Amino acid sequence: MASADSRPADTADPRRRSFRFLLSPPAVVLALFLILPVLLMVVVSFRPDLSGNLLGAFAPTLKQYQQAFAGAGYWRSLGISALTALGVAAIATTLAYPIAYFLAFRAGKRAALYLILLLVPFWTSYLLRVMAWKVMLGEGGVINSVLLWSGAISQPLDALLYNRGAVIVTLVYVWIPFAALPILAGLGRIDIRLHDAAADLYASPWQQLRRVTLPLSLPGVVAAFFMVFIPTVGEYVTPLLVGGTGGSMYGNIIQDFFTRAANWPLGSALSVIMLSATLGLVVVGLRIVDPRRLLAR
Amino acid sequence: MVDVRVIQPLATPLPAARPGRLRLPALRGYFWLMIALLYLPIAILFVFSVNANTTLAFPLKGWTLDWYAKLFATPQLLDAVRRSVIVAISSSIVATALGTMVAILLSRFNFRGRDALTGLAMLPLIVPYVVLAVALLILFHALGIPLSIATVAIAHVVVALPYTTLIVLARLIGFDQQLEEVAMDLGASYPATLRLVVLPIAAPAIVSAAITAFTVSFDEFALALFLAGGDQTFPVYLYGQLRYATTLPVLIATAVLLMAATLVLLVVAERVRRR
Amino acid sequence: MRPSRTMTGRVAVALATLALVAAACGAAGTSPTATSQPTLGPTEIPTLAPTDVPPDQVTGTLSVLDWTGYDAEWAWQDFKNTYKNAKVTFAFGDSDAEQYGQMKAGGTFDVFHPYTGWLQFYVDEGLAAEIDTTKLKNWDKVPDSFKKIGQINGKQYFVPWDWGFTSILYRTDKITTPVDSWSILFDPKYKGHLSMWDDGPGAVTVSSYVHGYNETAITADQLASIKAEWTAQATLNKAYWTAETDLVQMMSSGEAWAAYAWQGAYATLLGKGVPVAYATPKEGRNSWVGVYGIRKDSPNYDLALKFLDAKLGLLTGQNLVANYYYGSANGDVMKGITDPTLKQAFSVDDPSILTKTNFTPNLTAAQRDAWTAMWTEVKASQ
Repeated sequence: MASADSRPADTADPRRRSFRFLLSPPAVVLALFLILPVLLMVVVSFRPDLSGNLLGAFAPTLKQYQQAFAGAGYWRSLGISALTALGVAAIATTLAYPIAYFLAFRAGKRAALYLILLLVPFWTSYLLRVMAWKVMLGEGGVINSVLLWSGAISQPLDALLYNRGAVIVTLVYVWIPFAALPILAGLGRIDIRLHDAAADLYASPWQQLRRVTLPLSLPGVVAAFFMVFIPTVGEYVTPLLVGGTGGSMYGNIIQDFFTRAANWPLGSALSVIMLSATLGLVVVGLRIVDPRRLLAR
Repeated sequence: MVDVRVIQPLATPLPAARPGRLRLPALRGYFWLMIALLYLPIAILFVFSVNANTTLAFPLKGWTLDWYAKLFATPQLLDAVRRSVIVAISSSIVATALGTMVAILLSRFNFRGRDALTGLAMLPLIVPYVVLAVALLILFHALGIPLSIATVAIAHVVVALPYTTLIVLARLIGFDQQLEEVAMDLGASYPATLRLVVLPIAAPAIVSAAITAFTVSFDEFALALFLAGGDQTFPVYLYGQLRYATTLPVLIATAVLLMAATLVLLVVAERVRRR
Repeated sequence: MRPSRTMTGRVAVALATLALVAAACGAAGTSPTATSQPTLGPTEIPTLAPTDVPPDQVTGTLSVLDWTGYDAEWAWQDFKNTYKNAKVTFAFGDSDAEQYGQMKAGGTFDVFHPYTGWLQFYVDEGLAAEIDTTKLKNWDKVPDSFKKIGQINGKQYFVPWDWGFTSILYRTDKITTPVDSWSILFDPKYKGHLSMWDDGPGAVTVSSYVHGYNETAITADQLASIKAEWTAQATLNKAYWTAETDLVQMMSSGEAWAAYAWQGAYATLLGKGVPVAYATPKEGRNSWVGVYGIRKDSPNYDLALKFLDAKLGLLTGQNLVANYYYGSANGDVMKGITDPTLKQAFSVDDPSILTKTNFTPNLTAAQRDAWTAMWTEVKASQ
């Protein structure tokens, strides 16, 4: 089986020119509009404050990092955010898998239509959808009204909204359709005849799933997991809307320092910490789930 | 080719008939349950968009189409929606193109900077949008680039790149390179191979990626706020108007209308295609 | 192996169709320019001094950094009606911090719109130009207390424009004894039914009212006790609100019974028939004021002055009150309010209200950094 490593891009490779053509545009865009700003952010994190010319010289200081490390609340929040992100990614990926499976193997001709159906709600403003959801979950909301009316409860449930649980549920709800996409892309490369071959060898449907489909779809699943996990660590909109007092996440802290406090140095320092922590977690994660092993057959 | 190790010797005796594929009616039901959950808030929004209430609270107070009428009479709102569409389309096209390039590089080539490129392509996922927004703002001012929807589109390309890369990569990884090798052995140049073999293989994922990039851009707020100059996109306009409780119903009507229009458009396109 | 044709071929077509349609919509004409808000009453034409250029001949483009919504024509109606050949373009920031950031990052706006508490920074960083009030025809309609708001280090750097109260808004059907103190926000009796604005300096303000601290000279010890106080309060809080719509929704659904609120929410809920009252605490209400400033070294200083003057016009002020339930710095506008809901919201019939009102002082950068960090730590420790 040919693997991706079979053709090194050395001078003998006839694809050399294509390689440069493929590499240049992304490299330029990333260098100019990503690396440069991130470097700028790191530089700002060493500023004592925002006074003076932003691009001018200043005396670097570790003051912001000292403050960030000294505040126990920040570390706690980072830890909780990372754990929440892990949970959300795991749950969303698991719940998205059957959807992707359905679209890939069961939906047949209508698959495109169903995919559209799945994604169109995301072209409605997220903010308004969550507001509508709050109408459902709130104390005076639809769910409570129905439960009260049917006599199942005597007092409205106030635990449906404005807490960490609500944040997790909302985040999972939002991410499921997105997580389905890479899984779907991964499932798409599985030849259906493999299932038939397995059946010919008397594998039960569940065995087909476990032994054929799941392993082959793993790259898509891993892609989905990281696609959900990484941004969720820094998530701030959902905790803001449904988290209440106790559901705040690390992203809210950074957001606050940029938009409520105009304290960019401290915000940048906290961002650098979060970036490093997330990168670290991803590296560790990739060691455990070695993608290269997944690709070898 | 099937790896024979996949099937273990069975502990239980062979079934009488050859087993079929995994058929779970529950699977279909699960999908529709998900759809129902997704559309429930939208149904609620729709109800409030034709309701005389100006707050999102029950009890309902009489039906009205006033909000929709007011929507079309608000030029800032219409302009904002139009700008959002333009930004989303342009940034998704560029992001998908770049993401496909990166995916091809990562799955088909072996080179020294490979891990670095992977990390870089994924980096926007970790950088908080507001930080990127501020940094890009300083950058654009320093470079003398005026703020407009173009600067917003650039930022959206950067943040959509991880999604497009991941989706196309998930399709291309491990996809047998034999076809490409065969094509080149038959004399096709690599660019032709890319065009005629790799891209068609990746096409489903490319479309998925484009849709994802569009979605990411259309509802994005933090970058659009800082980098749009005077050209508000719809989310920016929305967030701003929400400070004042009086304008909520018109915004809801807009969101519902947008969604309905998109749905109708795409379903019609799908029907036309299938005829 | 043929590439899959079933699914995404169709989606590709669908997407392409959408793209074409949207591009067509974008290319087709511009949207109508008619104002959407009703105008109320006559325009004030400023009287011309002998050396003034006639309004019709005033040209140029003004760049304004403002909050979303204020680009609507009703918000600068007088300028639009008077100087028909001058153009105005708008850029937006979602909060004071963001707007300050945009100015600091080098934005070349001519006019900007900060609120009390943030004015010191602009002056300290050399971003604000002094206002020549002799050229403002409407300046005498502004009460002295408001004029002072716009003065830093004794000089007039800002022109006040919009203002509002902050006080305790509460449901009279859930809280039957009238609320008379800010300390209700700390009352364990209402656990799970309180809502505070998500703002550190706001929290420090409330604490200083309750304990009688001097807001402009909070010591480190006081700040520590404020932090402890609000950390405890967080368990009584249902949720912090950031936009008025959140608060209105929480109050009308009955989730929040008492909250830190601006009078816009009060007026909205009154108009919906929700039983609410707006307290006049014994420590006094708070008032915030929005001001307009001119960027230092702006090349359009004179045009900017005309813009500010027109902002103080009668029509503009009336539109502000009618649309956002905010007060106008133009005293004539406030005296002319007839709507009973608004009269109640602004306590128009209670002339002593301003004496019982504490205006938000201006913070130094160090104070703001310390107070916002304190608040962030309060929230992070939950």
